[in-house]
Amino acid sequence: MARERVHPNYVGVWLWLVALLIASVGVTTLPVPTGVALFLIFGMAVVKAVLVALNYMHLKFEHLLIYAMAIVPLVIFFVLWLVLYPDIALH
Amino acid sequence: MAETHVMAIGVDTRAATGIPTGKIGVWWFLASEIVLFGGLIGSFVMSRLGSGGWSEMAAHLSVPIGTINTFVLLTSSLTMVLAFAAAEKGDQKGMRTWLLLTVLLGLAFLIIKGFEWGSKIGAGFTPMAGSFWSFYYTMTGLHALHVLGGVVVNSILFLSALMGLLRGREHRVELAGLYWHFVDVVWIFLFPLLYLSWSRGGR
Repeated sequence: MARERVHPNYVGVWLWLVALLIASVGVTTLPVPTGVALFLIFGMAVVKAVLVALNYMHLKFEHLLIYAMAIVPLVIFFVLWLVLYPDIALH
Repeated sequence: MAETHVMAIGVDTRAATGIPTGKIGVWWFLASEIVLFGGLIGSFVMSRLGSGGWSEMAAHLSVPIGTINTFVLLTSSLTMVLAFAAAEKGDQKGMRTWLLLTVLLGLAFLIIKGFEWGSKIGAGFTPMAGSFWSFYYTMTGLHALHVLGGVVVNSILFLSALMGLLRGREHRVELAGLYWHFVDVVWIFLFPLLYLSWSRGGR
């Protein structure tokens, strides 16, 4: 059983990934507050991860069930992290 | 971005969902991997926030080496997905070429990581040298084991393709690719956590 699938521009996505990698390393040399730099660095890491997941792992073409299987463990992780955060990080 | 339309490889699917059984299995496995790496990364972040003195240790890591390794892994994700694209088009030669390149890039990542580990251990920064180094070796070691697993799987796929055993089973390239890209995503977060967050100072 064959069905039509759309292929993203894989090389274009790779170029964005490399550009974001260079930018995130470059941020460490910018004269901005550490908090701003960390926000930019991890913000770009999230964008890179989303680009890979949507385009290379084809999540943007997937069934809702696949999304659920990817998102539920992430939600569990964040809930556990938020619950434990005050006890460990603020002492 | 330009997009091209191709025909997907035909595989058996679950009647209830219309999703190939193998794909459900791989995503189920990846869900457990999210919890595994998520727990490790969460522990690292909380330990780092709850104690001081880690920046001095992390400053011994080489940002250029980490950047090169990240570039290698990002590029291997491209070659892996191009192997899948070639498989979908029925391009057996292209699939074999991209699979081989993915294996070689995975090996390059491991060799660079091994060199980095050797230089740090030689300088006295062993896993027992402090909390930061314990986390560093645990997280990068577990990740390297996953890369090694992916290299083995991709090598088996490449050899199978060489012997003509992959004809009609090309969807396995997509399933192996899902795992490979996940390993790439994990490194996308490990790189800034270990190499970049510290170069500006702080505790």
